[in-house]
Amino acid sequence: MKLSLNWIKDFVKIPDDMDLTRLAYDLTMSTVEVEGAESLAKRFDKIVVGEIKEVLPHPNADKLRVCKVDIGEDVKDIVCGGSNLEPGMRVVVACPGAMVRWHGEGEPVEIKNTKLRGVASFGMICASTEVGLEDLFPLKDDHEIMDITSFDVKAGTPLATALDLDDIILEIDNKSMTNRPDLWGHYGIAREIAALYDLPLVEFEKYEPDVDAEYDVRILDSDRCPRFIGAKVEGLSVKPSPFKMQSRIWRVGMRPINALVDITNYVMLATGQPTHVYDSNHIIDHIEVRRANEGETLQLLNDKVLELSTDDLVIADGEGAVGLAGVMGGGKDSVLPDTESVIFECANFESRGIRRTALRYDNRTEASSRYEKAVDPERCDQAVSMAMELFAKLYPEMKVTSYKDLYVKKLEKKEIDVELEWLDRRLGMRIPQEVVAKKLGTMGYEVTFTEDSMHIVVPTWRSTGDVSIKADIMEEVARMYGYENFQPTSITTTFDGAINQLEVDLVRRVKEYLAFRCNMQEIFTYPWMSDEFVHAIMPTTDGILALATPPSPNESYVRCSLLPNICKAIVKNERNFDEFDIFEEAQIFLDSDYTEEYKGEKLPCQKKHLGCAFVGKSDNIAELFRRAKGVIGMMPRYTHMEAFTFEKVEKPYWADETVWLNILLNGKRIGDLALLSKKSALACGIKVLSAVLVELDMDALEPLKSRTNRYARLPEFPMNEYDLSFVVDASVKWADIYGAIMTKKSDDSLLKEVKFVDEYTGKQIPAGKKSVTVRLVIGSGEKTLTGAEIEQVAKSTTKKLSKAIGVEIRG
Amino acid sequence: MKEKLEALLRDGAEKIQNAKTEGELQEIKGALLGKQGSVTELLKEIPKLDVSLRPEMGKAVNNVKALLSEQIEGRREELKLKASEISPDFDCTIPGIEPKIGGLHPITQMCYDLNDAFRSMGFEVFSGPEITSEYFAFDNLNFPPNHPARESMDTYWLAGHDTGDADKKLCLRPHLTGDSVRYMQTHKPPYRFVYPGRVYRNETTDARHERAFFQYEALIVDKDFTYTAGKVMIKSILSKVFGQDVPVRMRAGFFPFVEPGFEIDMGCLVCGGKGCSVCKHVGWIEIMPGGTPHPNVLRSAGLDPDEYTGFYVNIGLDRLVMMRYGVDDVRLFHSTDLRFLKQFK
Repeated sequence: MKLSLNWIKDFVKIPDDMDLTRLAYDLTMSTVEVEGAESLAKRFDKIVVGEIKEVLPHPNADKLRVCKVDIGEDVKDIVCGGSNLEPGMRVVVACPGAMVRWHGEGEPVEIKNTKLRGVASFGMICASTEVGLEDLFPLKDDHEIMDITSFDVKAGTPLATALDLDDIILEIDNKSMTNRPDLWGHYGIAREIAALYDLPLVEFEKYEPDVDAEYDVRILDSDRCPRFIGAKVEGLSVKPSPFKMQSRIWRVGMRPINALVDITNYVMLATGQPTHVYDSNHIIDHIEVRRANEGETLQLLNDKVLELSTDDLVIADGEGAVGLAGVMGGGKDSVLPDTESVIFECANFESRGIRRTALRYDNRTEASSRYEKAVDPERCDQAVSMAMELFAKLYPEMKVTSYKDLYVKKLEKKEIDVELEWLDRRLGMRIPQEVVAKKLGTMGYEVTFTEDSMHIVVPTWRSTGDVSIKADIMEEVARMYGYENFQPTSITTTFDGAINQLEVDLVRRVKEYLAFRCNMQEIFTYPWMSDEFVHAIMPTTDGILALATPPSPNESYVRCSLLPNICKAIVKNERNFDEFDIFEEAQIFLDSDYTEEYKGEKLPCQKKHLGCAFVGKSDNIAELFRRAKGVIGMMPRYTHMEAFTFEKVEKPYWADETVWLNILLNGKRIGDLALLSKKSALACGIKVLSAVLVELDMDALEPLKSRTNRYARLPEFPMNEYDLSFVVDASVKWADIYGAIMTKKSDDSLLKEVKFVDEYTGKQIPAGKKSVTVRLVIGSGEKTLTGAEIEQVAKSTTKKLSKAIGVEIRG
Repeated sequence: MKEKLEALLRDGAEKIQNAKTEGELQEIKGALLGKQGSVTELLKEIPKLDVSLRPEMGKAVNNVKALLSEQIEGRREELKLKASEISPDFDCTIPGIEPKIGGLHPITQMCYDLNDAFRSMGFEVFSGPEITSEYFAFDNLNFPPNHPARESMDTYWLAGHDTGDADKKLCLRPHLTGDSVRYMQTHKPPYRFVYPGRVYRNETTDARHERAFFQYEALIVDKDFTYTAGKVMIKSILSKVFGQDVPVRMRAGFFPFVEPGFEIDMGCLVCGGKGCSVCKHVGWIEIMPGGTPHPNVLRSAGLDPDEYTGFYVNIGLDRLVMMRYGVDDVRLFHSTDLRFLKQFK
């Protein structure tokens, strides 16, 4: 919202030497966020009034003229193509250094002395569009320059002074005052400034109608319309409003239309109370405020035709709807060029209904955006008072011929008791009673002190929901006293044990393990999934939750697994990388296992999951698989949790036929590790690379209470490594080989460990076979072994192997 | 001749010590002890001397010869040890091999930094469910029944759960504050905890707006806690996270769940408060709302608002991270683009 400082000064006497930066800062700290303060005079810097003395032809151009223009200190030659140049005319001259927009288009450019078709020209005679004043001085044709002859000012006067634009425009962030309906006009901000600096505030005089006749107003829904003031005003005409009024409306961002419409806008901008005028010739019989009938239609001022809902509140006459209450007037009864009398409306409407209607037709207006914040009904008095004064001033002949103030539902003023001891305690200090009384008093509160508390009656304009409890009063006192005038206080604490949150710590350890020990990158994805990825990864969409209003039509499913979005991330990164490992830790949701968290509230199953992808070229899937298995297999050891095992229990839908494992903890499946099947990968759009995916239920993990490493005594005698290579059937598994070696191994055996080194298939190996190399760790706790003793262990191991799985030793 | 000999020894020793390479040393050796070397020349002159002087001078010259030889060999050893094992062409400007290390998401990093800071002040870390009921998303937090935020254009309601009573309507949580009520309902006061997490709003996205973002809330509830202590808390945390003294100001703001409510600004670290494009030339950056829990919120947590009070802060982590690294598009955080994510080590 834009505010004119001069306009605010109508209501509160701000000292002329008030530092503007200070004012903006104080308002920001205590009331609303002031986003900027622009000096209008500065916008028109180096732009002055010129008086045309002579208009001469241009020697080299038919459409241009050379004007001798008096700009105060001197008469200058200015080349101009204006269609309405006349000697004696007062015009706007942009001197060198001024900023103007050429032909009203593009960014402002700086004016310089120049030659136009060979004739030197000092600055420029401007059209209204070139100085941004087209709303106040509309163009009649494209080549017309701005004519300010009617302003009685001397040549050389700065334009801002000539047009009385010496003003400061404050830009307020609307978001910072959505809860303050009283601030949506100049008067409301003036009241805050009065309280801030203890300045007197101008009061409105209540309008007393001097008429016998009552205007026929009927309210059929008093909940939605607590008050309606209707007045028939005669002796009017459609003409432009005085320049000062137009200029004020313009400078805060609206467009002047004509005197009748301008009065209503002016009143709204000043008081925050919307008003409206209808041409009385077109109002049949009476005005009633009611809900729209089934099937009723209404043509709005902006020609849009609405099919109304019975939830809409309308202003109607004897025949039908003439306006959408609180939102916009109707086309039929608007002010027309021949309007001579109007029905003036100043009404109060219930806020939420107005909001519903404005949203329903996507038609939020200056009026509706004020009403929907809950304007108090008492404010109608201020608006009527100001409007009637303006009618009388602009139309000395005008007469109010009938009038009705139908006030069917009064607003109760809130009353609050505040214990002084409580206030002191919460503020952390005592603010003198007279200061509290003065600040609250200026803001309209009635305050009565008793011995240990104060009784407060809240003004109507703060009683529409804004102020209702004692914490609100404390805030009013604190912000007006100045938040920065309170001394900082330190936080005290009582110590009763260190924070010990095992589950929280485990999650962090897992993430740091993956990132810093395993070279993986953490990613964030959205909680919704694209359909194609859901279909690629999930066997069915049953049991998946969906959004009522998804971000896009094919993104309605809510994450039931981390894998669909991880696959999407693979597709995205496949373009730039041919090897990468990523992970995500996030919640998943299932339309099942609802639990009652709180009385009556049933929440769906929500779990913390870990998803990983190990991505690489398709020619080395074994390496990819082992990388994944290594990272996940080592995780319990490195992150201090109960160990889990890998087994084949049930193949995940998305997994390759062969390369898959389930992750089990205490016999329960808590996750999967598998190669993404070709079918799923293609459905995802993963074109080149292969991926081994992991998904793990983090909530199932069991953190250890403390690190449980046990120290192993260092061997006294050397350990020996002995590599053994042999050929077996390609179908033989490492688990079988390991099992064969380790079974029936006595505790005092010299064979301490067996490690996988590698396996190989290729030219030298017969088809259907593979070569496996294992490393035996051989040693004794009692002595250094001889070569023969080591050979002996290797030999007996070979024997075991050939017996169990029929191996054939290579070279 | 004696003086000559002494000079020879002095000069020879100096030359030997100054030799830089073994080749140089070999040259010096030749010049001193070679067939035409200066010492050898002196030896040749001995027969020309008076007989009585010969034995003494012969001994002296041989002594010098031995001394120089010894020094030469000593220097030779020295140079051998000093020499590089590799060609002098070795290029030390070749870049190092980067260790293979992944990374946490920049928002996680910031979150953990804050966790560390808050934990050092005795705060617990808590997290609640991301799908919540209208009851916890709005009702418990003093949002009036028809508050605009409840509408579907602002909140992601779940299909099939988007009508009915507040405890039956389910949505992706639009903020974290509801979780604070869950915590309070299940723990005993006083409270001191943080509850970071993801929240979701139905918005049109652009470089400054996202549908999914990460918030970080902290709540302290105790008897007799003033908002000025809240300011001290915020200042301590921000100063720890940014590693320097951070100016903080609290100004009037409105949020349904706090009363009084504040907009909390931190001094712009880019310009030091002088005003720059980052802070839109005001020297301050709005980083979080905060304030005293509204009495209705404390009541829904089962506390007596006359007895207990406290302080909320709600930090938008996305914004803070954007400021920390100068990121200019909030959508990058959920882009999963490794070219972006790998920049944050």
